[in-house]
Amino acid sequence: MKRWNALGSAALAAGLLFAVALLAQDTPGPSGAAKGGGGTPGPGKGKGKAKSAAPSLPAPRNKEGRVTFGPGPAGTGFWGGGGSIVGRGGNNLPANPLLEEVPFQPWAKALYDVRRSDGGQRDDPHVRCMPPGGPRQFQTPNGFEFLEQPETKRMYVVFGGGPRSWRVIYLDGRALPKMDEDSVPTYLGYSSGHWEGDTLVVESTGYNERFWFHRGGLPHTDALHLTERFSRPDFDTLKYEVTVDDKKAYTRPWTGGFTVPWTYTNWDGTPGGEIQEYFCQDYERDTQSFQAK
Amino acid sequence: MKLRAILTMLVASVALSGQEGHPLVGSWHGSLGDSPAKQTDATFVLKFDGTNITGMINPGLEVMKLQTATLDPSTWTVHLEADTKDVSGKVVRVVIEGKIQNITNPRRTIVGTWTQGTTKAPLKMTRDD
Repeated sequence: MKRWNALGSAALAAGLLFAVALLAQDTPGPSGAAKGGGGTPGPGKGKGKAKSAAPSLPAPRNKEGRVTFGPGPAGTGFWGGGGSIVGRGGNNLPANPLLEEVPFQPWAKALYDVRRSDGGQRDDPHVRCMPPGGPRQFQTPNGFEFLEQPETKRMYVVFGGGPRSWRVIYLDGRALPKMDEDSVPTYLGYSSGHWEGDTLVVESTGYNERFWFHRGGLPHTDALHLTERFSRPDFDTLKYEVTVDDKKAYTRPWTGGFTVPWTYTNWDGTPGGEIQEYFCQDYERDTQSFQAK
Repeated sequence: MKLRAILTMLVASVALSGQEGHPLVGSWHGSLGDSPAKQTDATFVLKFDGTNITGMINPGLEVMKLQTATLDPSTWTVHLEADTKDVSGKVVRVVIEGKIQNITNPRRTIVGTWTQGTTKAPLKMTRDD
């Protein structure tokens, strides 16, 4: 009996530690972000380190002269957590709408208020390891990086956090698929992009409704269409702007964004500048198998 | 009966993608009745086009298409109306009044009443995950 109690206590403690670890890694969105850039760990907020106050180097360029989003000759580093598309200050863009300026439909505003009332994590699917689509991809802990593959005309966005997923952005000029009742919407949607000078412009649709597309729980529906603009004004800064068009949740399209800092160390602050191995496991139920042999 | 079950499953499987979006969208299963021993199963399939809530009750051979469907987000109160027929074939209005509970939970519930003609019964529906 004592052995079972000990095992039960150990399992409970492990479960609690796991839950605390998850919660610690993804904190509330717009409400906190409006005050100072959001609570996502990252350079200046978490243990990962951005460059010091020295002026940033120019953004790296490929042999055609276009800006790239990778580490360039330096070879290491990745993008840390971003801010919020609502509210100003911190990493948020100065033209962002304030919360009261977001054109919510009444149901969406009411639902968002409830979600925020519990610190922005009440029933957050991301805490249950559901993949983060839309801007949420760039707000998650553990960082992300872009891998461009010119020979296949694709850009991959690789995420170090959550369920460790990747997103494909097609750069071959293809049109977005028409979504109808036979379509299978997904967490990361369907993305087609092109370069406008040094800015990558990506149109995406085909999202399901099983996730929150922004930290803190901004609502969306299967009508969500995103237009994202990625640029890199200097080596240490990724600028992210997104226009949210979802007529079922918002009365008109609206735009917000944030910057994301380049991270020079590992996420835990140790030297390296690599995305470290991390897996979010969905609702671990097999605690009985944790018995000591 | 088998056909109704198959139709219900087919309709429900299409609607399962709704979960974190509009709180009513998706399929709901539950029952109504005065006592736990006397419960009648019910199914709702609800959609939202950005303006209107549409859908049906009990998809299948005895389907009731919604005539009215509203949600008051200030109280999360739901109002649904549909027509059915009594044993004599006379059209009878079904009115459902309820409130969504656990609004942020994927398996949220609608708790309220089902009024059919002069008969009123408690109702509880749970959103399919």
